Amino acid sequence: MVDEDIAEYVLDVAQSKESPLLAEVRIERTATNKVAVKAGDVAPVMSSTDAGMYVRIVLPSGIGFASTNKLSKPEGVELARRAARQARSGARKVPVRMSPETAVKTSWDVKQKRGLADVGLDEKIEQLRAVDRAVVKTKVKVQGRYYEFSDTDTTAYFANSEGSRISSSIPRVDSFAMLTVSSKGETEQSLRQWGAAGGWEKVDEWSLEKALADEVVMLKNIIDKGKRVKPGKYDLVCGPEVAGIAAHESCGHPMEGDRILGREMSQAGKSFVHPDMIGQRIGSSYATVIDDPTVPGSYGYYAYDHEGVRARPRYLYKEGIINEFLHNRETAGTLGIRSNGSSRSTKYLREPIVRMANTYVAPGDFEEDEIFGSIKEGVMMKSFTEWNIDDKRFNQKYVSREAYFIKDGEIAGPARKCALEITTPGFWGAIDATSKRVGYEAAGCGKGDPMQGAPVFTGGPMLRLREVALK
Amino acid sequence: MSAMKELAVDLVEAARSAGADDAVAEVMDSTISQVRYSNKVIDATNWWTEKNAYMFVAVGKRTIATDFRDLTEAESLVPRLVDMAKRSPENETYLGIAKGKFKYPKSRLDRKIVYLRDPARHVHDAISGAESEGAIDVGGTLYVRHYKTALASSGGPVAEDETASMDLSVRAFSQPEASGHAVSCVPRLASLKAKETGKRAGELATLAKNPVQGEEGKFDLVMEPLFLGGLVLSTSGMMSALMVDIGMSMYAKKIGKKVASDAVTFVDDPRMESTSMRAFDHEGVPTRRNVVIKDGVLKTYLHSTSTAKKYKTKTTGSCGPLLPMAGLAGDPTTFHPVVVPGDWSRDEVICDTKRGLYVNNTWYTRYQNYGTGEFSSIPRDAILKIENGEIVGAVKSVRLSDNMLNVWKSIDALSKETQEVYWWDEASPPSTLPMVRAKAMNMTRSS
Repeated sequence: MVDEDIAEYVLDVAQSKESPLLAEVRIERTATNKVAVKAGDVAPVMSSTDAGMYVRIVLPSGIGFASTNKLSKPEGVELARRAARQARSGARKVPVRMSPETAVKTSWDVKQKRGLADVGLDEKIEQLRAVDRAVVKTKVKVQGRYYEFSDTDTTAYFANSEGSRISSSIPRVDSFAMLTVSSKGETEQSLRQWGAAGGWEKVDEWSLEKALADEVVMLKNIIDKGKRVKPGKYDLVCGPEVAGIAAHESCGHPMEGDRILGREMSQAGKSFVHPDMIGQRIGSSYATVIDDPTVPGSYGYYAYDHEGVRARPRYLYKEGIINEFLHNRETAGTLGIRSNGSSRSTKYLREPIVRMANTYVAPGDFEEDEIFGSIKEGVMMKSFTEWNIDDKRFNQKYVSREAYFIKDGEIAGPARKCALEITTPGFWGAIDATSKRVGYEAAGCGKGDPMQGAPVFTGGPMLRLREVALK
Repeated sequence: MSAMKELAVDLVEAARSAGADDAVAEVMDSTISQVRYSNKVIDATNWWTEKNAYMFVAVGKRTIATDFRDLTEAESLVPRLVDMAKRSPENETYLGIAKGKFKYPKSRLDRKIVYLRDPARHVHDAISGAESEGAIDVGGTLYVRHYKTALASSGGPVAEDETASMDLSVRAFSQPEASGHAVSCVPRLASLKAKETGKRAGELATLAKNPVQGEEGKFDLVMEPLFLGGLVLSTSGMMSALMVDIGMSMYAKKIGKKVASDAVTFVDDPRMESTSMRAFDHEGVPTRRNVVIKDGVLKTYLHSTSTAKKYKTKTTGSCGPLLPMAGLAGDPTTFHPVVVPGDWSRDEVICDTKRGLYVNNTWYTRYQNYGTGEFSSIPRDAILKIENGEIVGAVKSVRLSDNMLNVWKSIDALSKETQEVYWWDEASPPSTLPMVRAKAMNMTRSS
């Protein structure tokens, strides 16, 4: 439970300071547990509870944000004083504008079918050990084996000077694995992550034993039988994992309003997208990318953002057209529109900024065998390892973890370390088919300064790209 | 004894009374302020204050760690923590904590940083410095940090430290695709060069004007310290014995072997005056200057007491946080990486380069395989083309796609000047580095 009295008291103080455009108080409490198993052995166990609050004050001259883990009315008053002073010191020539939004009084939560509190340490450890046993049982030589579970349960209370009052509760679980497979004197690695909003039932849905046993067998197969792609132009089928990372990196990030307006210029960078590019073509008609915080059970789920704006799906690229940016109240206010609920902060110690939630390529109407069927010579990149993109989000690279050659519409043996190095319009413009089924991956999205690693889903169906250069 | 140190000692005693065999308490009090600016104006001013205590307890090999966020109730919660440890499975990787009483250096704190009232002034200096060199757009951050730490351990260490530092980051644009980046990271207010840092970023941005698409192929890379700092992040992480253990290090089984060119000596030096200087590691062992790579040969991994026992050696005083925000608990860490300088002047390095690129900064360094070192990284900000010893223009949109061991083995020139660099989570941790040249690096681009 969070202390709403403190929030109300501090908000009263905050809004009494110089009639701010907006004053916000958020109080948050998070319980975290983490267990790990390294090569079958238990590694350190961690358990903690964190609580704190922030005050954000927006004046025409600037924005002040102050936070502390000391939860009391006097501490809150000090935060309000500091935030107001900081907002004054901004000295902006063009006054800050926040988009007008409707005040909301509500509460939301994510239910747990199996409560995190009901799962003991022993059970978690045993589950990880069972995963390790399943990996060992494959007889593949896995010289590096590390697995962990972590779970968080966050309750929060948000109050702003416009009358919004939102209580929320969101549990999340995630699992992470690092595997190094060796064969014939060579190695391949896999770093896998699973995550969801919900209780421990989500962990059971992941079937980790099978997934990671399959993973090491696949890596051995890639080492033993994988062949390099002869550099050249090929038709490329991207699996949901690759579609998802492309959606995240070369659609979601460049469509963040704060980047577009330059606020991230010295860290995560700017964007090749400019405010006047809404309506311009970026890809083929199959390139529809959605960011949707409301996907049930998703890692990036939320019902209301950190400024109290109701979450909804955002169609970033729509049938190949730049359609809608991700906005918080500040970026929306600057452009004279309404926020679409993209403001997130990973904890009370960090300012809320524009973030993605669950970004995925929209499905199409192709069957998966249809996607392959018309390819004479190509490659299927099912998953990726090394990847990166420049700070305008225009030049990206994905190197395959699991890939296969396609010959005359059929899978024809593993391909190793196939690299796609391509521009953003090059990628989205080359798609000529999308399959019906969307798959999701959990990831931590890094942005902000200090860094805020936000839980997100990336995803998509199978994509077919025609005539792209592979190395 | 300070109140923080007293609390740390009390927490450890409470753990011992409750049945813990080993206990470490690290009480921290931090205050950080940040001025964020972009488009030449201040976007937001942030201020964080935290007081908390990390606590690690072991009952035999059953271990647990927590973070007490409410210090008023911490002591009363210790018995519950010890009870949780008793009910935890055995942690087979746990081989003990440091034993003994140690002496620590006195903290070298610049109180002028602690009492600084108007950090925004330095931001305005940085912006005007960049503009004076032709920048049309400027953004960045200025951090002012103040940390107090007290640590007590049932093994004997009782220690206390206080540090303050500032780090300024300036990214300047002279055109939409022409930028330069410079930083100033200092443990003393008088050393902060806000105007000069802005000017340097502006100067690089101007040099980077009118970039053309870069070519694929082999180029000698002349790396500014900030660029090298981006590579040090992953490189230094792989020096941890724990990373070696879990297969995430290119340094596995390479002690005594060549892992860099003869010109490279890589040190972790938490004792030198820097923004990340510290007196003791997270189990209370005094920090020390560790030579990790000497003349290109790997001399040691970085160790905590626990990893050192496994490797039948001694701790290097490098134990990382027992309850990290991210990563693995107790993962041995570098606190302040240093690449020992060479004897080249910066101009000499450029003059001696026939076909190369002068690179200012990089980001998004990602690996295919940490065990073998294949990676790529994306140069950003000024990428200047060098032909026959002269800078002849700027390029854009290229990628360093190579092998990290090969990068370090290809370094053949190091400047005599060094600079402390730290930027975001890319050039991190704070490190003191020269400018270096790596021969024949593989550059790629989008097709």
